[in-house]
Amino acid sequence: MKPVNPDPLAQLTEIRAIMERSSRFLSLSGLSGVGAGVVALLGAATGHFYLQSRYPDGYLRLIQSSMPERQAALPFLLLLAGGMIGVALLVAFYFTQRRTRHNGQPLWSRPARRLVAALAVPLVTGGLFCLRLFLGGDAAMVVPGLLVFYGLALLNASKYTLDEIRWLGLTQLVLGLGCLLLPGWGLIFFALGFGLGHIGYGLLMYNRYERTATAGPDAKTVVTQ
Amino acid sequence: MKHLIHTLNKAFDHRVRLGVMAVLMANESVSFNDLKEVLDLTDGNLASHVAALEKAEYVLVSKQFIGKKPHTTYSATTAGKAAFQQHLAALEKLLRG
Repeated sequence: MKPVNPDPLAQLTEIRAIMERSSRFLSLSGLSGVGAGVVALLGAATGHFYLQSRYPDGYLRLIQSSMPERQAALPFLLLLAGGMIGVALLVAFYFTQRRTRHNGQPLWSRPARRLVAALAVPLVTGGLFCLRLFLGGDAAMVVPGLLVFYGLALLNASKYTLDEIRWLGLTQLVLGLGCLLLPGWGLIFFALGFGLGHIGYGLLMYNRYERTATAGPDAKTVVTQ
Repeated sequence: MKHLIHTLNKAFDHRVRLGVMAVLMANESVSFNDLKEVLDLTDGNLASHVAALEKAEYVLVSKQFIGKKPHTTYSATTAGKAAFQQHLAALEKLLRG
């Protein structure tokens, strides 16, 4: 059994590290974000070609579409959304578990469980809410709704993980509210928020926390700046 | 004059006890297994140190049963939190010299 380290600075540093480690999941990989962003961009492109083939006169037609039209489009949209969520989660899981193994920490720890719960509750609520909006005829509200609920979910989850997640959440909120002002631009905002937003913050997190672990001496200068 | 080192709390005179208190400061209540996992300890090691903190009335232990399995959770008492804060302040004072 190790006695207490006599150096008070070492003690304080260790205490802070334990407090952080026990309450936050810090092994979230930035590459998870990049992967999710790429998936979102591919999904947005698929959605774009689908909508273009169905509504050649522009997306605004979709917003004014009738109930049977929307119901006909629903299986495709649900399949696309489900596929994107599934693949994005797989990619996120792969990179994050790779990082926890690299750090020698458990993946399904208490902070990880809290993080997942903090994300899942607002996300499932938002998903059902947006489904109802779409079926009820407010198709233009769907993308703002998704962005706003996702932003709030991230804001909620940021208590249990890296600080960048809070900023990613605020970014999604701003985009969601901005999208309210521009009906018909939903897909662009979707690609901005879920695509570029994830890729941008993912790269930022990767540069800040992960590159040093694998890269050469030039990465160290990044940290000291 | 009393040397500064004597202002450090004897109850926290061990890495494990400091670790347990640190976790309980950052989290409302924590189960035995989560505590063990975060601090990377064995059952016996953790149990003996938690018992010392319990005896000092710095840690509250609550035992429940989930089905037939015992489920023990720990939380810091008000006195424990205050004592730990004081200990941290004393450490900082030592640092500033």
